[in-house]
Amino acid sequence: MVMAHTADPQPVVHKPHGWRRWLFATNHKDIGTLYLWFAFCMFLVGGVLALCIRTELFRPGLQFFQPALFNQLTTLHGLIMVFGAIMPAFTGLANWMLPLMLGAPDMAFARMNNWSFWLLPPAMALLLLSFLVPGGAAATGWTLYAPLSVQLGMGMDLTIFAIHILGVSSIMGAINIVVTIINLRAPGMPMMRMPMFAWASLITAYLIIAVMPVLAGAVTMVLTDRHFGTHFFNAAGGGDPILYQHVFWFFGHPEVYIMALPAFGIVSQVIPTFARKPLFGYTSMVYATSSIGVLSFMVWAHHMFVTGMPATAQLFFMYATMLIAVPTGVKVFNWIATMWEGSMSFETPMLFAIGFILLFTIGGLSGVTLSVAAVDVQLHGSYYVVAHFHYVLVAGALFSLFAAVYYWFPKMTGRMYGERLGKLHFWWSLLWFNVTFFPMHFLGLAGMPRRIPDYALQFTTFNQIASVGAFMFGLGQLIFLFNILHSLRHGKTAPQQPWEGANTLEWRLPTPAPYHSFHEAPELETAENGVVLDMRGGKHG
Amino acid sequence: MAEAGRAANTVLLRRLLLVVLLMFGFAWGLIPLYRVICEVSGLNRVVAADRLADDGSTTAAVRPVQLVLDTMVQPGLPWQVLPPARQLQVRTGQFIQLQYTLRNNSRQAVVGQAIPHYLPAEAAAYVKKLECFCFRQQVFQPGETRHFPVVLVIDRRLPAEIGSITLSYSVFDVPGQGEGRP
Ligand code: HEM
Ligand SMILES: [Cu+2]
Repeated sequence: MVMAHTADPQPVVHKPHGWRRWLFATNHKDIGTLYLWFAFCMFLVGGVLALCIRTELFRPGLQFFQPALFNQLTTLHGLIMVFGAIMPAFTGLANWMLPLMLGAPDMAFARMNNWSFWLLPPAMALLLLSFLVPGGAAATGWTLYAPLSVQLGMGMDLTIFAIHILGVSSIMGAINIVVTIINLRAPGMPMMRMPMFAWASLITAYLIIAVMPVLAGAVTMVLTDRHFGTHFFNAAGGGDPILYQHVFWFFGHPEVYIMALPAFGIVSQVIPTFARKPLFGYTSMVYATSSIGVLSFMVWAHHMFVTGMPATAQLFFMYATMLIAVPTGVKVFNWIATMWEGSMSFETPMLFAIGFILLFTIGGLSGVTLSVAAVDVQLHGSYYVVAHFHYVLVAGALFSLFAAVYYWFPKMTGRMYGERLGKLHFWWSLLWFNVTFFPMHFLGLAGMPRRIPDYALQFTTFNQIASVGAFMFGLGQLIFLFNILHSLRHGKTAPQQPWEGANTLEWRLPTPAPYHSFHEAPELETAENGVVLDMRGGKHG
Repeated sequence: MAEAGRAANTVLLRRLLLVVLLMFGFAWGLIPLYRVICEVSGLNRVVAADRLADDGSTTAAVRPVQLVLDTMVQPGLPWQVLPPARQLQVRTGQFIQLQYTLRNNSRQAVVGQAIPHYLPAEAAAYVKKLECFCFRQQVFQPGETRHFPVVLVIDRRLPAEIGSITLSYSVFDVPGQGEGRP
């Protein structure tokens, strides 16, 4: 009897302490936590840059920042939010939740996972450092368009180097996600039943693997143009600056879906939970997500309608872009159908998910407007584009991230967040987000160009509204920070099943999720969208 | 299980790394690829050799065509553009010389660009201009008047159903190039 007991393979409960736990982290939960906190810090840094931009734009004329510095602010705001905040946050969530949702002991490559995270801080440090070098940071906008990027000072070299590191980091993170999902699912969790969040992460990871190398190639060409005498993008040497745009947007458009698909995945978990109904049209969701992934490679030139493309090419990219709205629409209708006649309750994650659907759809509609080549000639490079992508990125990607953090907070920490503060955070963000970004549609339609520190007098009122909105929105994020910090220590103890309607695998674990979970693969009986009907085994320590 | 699982992971890792390498190569491959696409489709070709049917490549006979001359100035601009006539009777294959008169009615130097337009649109491919003020931006001093020859040939391959061609010039302002520029 005693013999039998000791022969039982006991999981090694090995939990290092102090800074070693984080620097040498290989546990998926620790790495997920690192990613999430890092992303939140970068969100604050990027947010401060945005507030600098909005401060300058509060009044026409130059007040605080000279044009050169202003352009550096917009560039770094974009790069930090995209590569420092949104993408790492999604990778962090995938790290935290995928093994729990699929019944895996950890991510497939634990040490590589450590590297993917620890490459991020130096890359972001390089980006921020570039403000201090002669000539300042890159001032091209986040797209780093040649020929300007070929001409700028050494801040550009730091940026290129940072992008290389970020690329390596996100590719390693993506490979980990793919291998974990393909190889480490527990028995009884087939692909066509796994949670939508896993599907979304999988397709996102494939997109990252396919296009981050293309971005690396593009910036490497800029680098060789700058220092090694090549002329890829230099017209005087026989190159072509338009070519840069093609290579960049071949990366750039899939990149915007890299920031959108995981959001779709999160919402597809949250909505069924709080509607207490299974996800409507699971199979069509899988196919819609995949076809968005495929189509996203065929629409890049909708960012280039004014580069003098022939009409046939414009038509092709216009219709291809409109086509993407179809699978996107399928998803929106499926979410609505999931809520239809459900017994809904409106806890904070649900509020953020519904806010997401509402506002993301507005962003999708302005996207379809922009996709009309004849209309885009007027709107390209205007604030209308800024309004469009903030509806899909802030109200889209960011709101979904808030939904996810509130949703999984109890499972991650063992405590409940403050519901009243959470709701306040939602309504506050919803209000001020719209105050900030809705007027930008009007500004763009009236002809205000983006990425400028000064503007014509008639744009003043809307800019002032937007600036006030931005500061209030920023302030609201401190509610979130406070709620998280306070609840970590003083939150109510969370039950194993804080949400009545939650039925995916992670909720079968104790709360908080044990440091080592599913040391032994569980035997599952599942339904679509990762719903667990029955579980046997699945040890954790 | 653990060993087999680890081996499977490594295999997948290798495959994905291969994709990464291929896509990095693809980015560089785009450079020659775009060049080929531009060449094949003629996208970047600014000047191209052209020829007329007079080299014996067609049996189409010379025939009469009506040429309607129209001019347009964008509202608010100080240009005056006078064609030599409103309508002309010409023949295909004939070298036609037209004398246009352009005047700047303002007290400022202006820069303009004329854009030709044809009706019906498919006639455009058959009107071959050898000389035209629309080939480049034109700088006018205050109150200046100039005469420009326009030389064109209508290709004999012009489809039979086109009996009349309208040649219309619109003059646009070239912003930021006015006062003080050469
Ligand atoms: C129905 C779906 C969508 C359509 C039809 C669409 C269409 C477009 C078009 C045509 C542009 C180019 C506008 C211009 O520069 O003139 C654009 C820009 C942009 N879109 Fe979308 N879009 C869609 C969804 C999304 C999503 C889901 C995201 C990200 C989550 C996104 C992010 C962006 C960004 C960041 C830009 C601006 C890039 C830049 O110039 O800096 N879009 N979109
Ligand atoms: Cu796009």
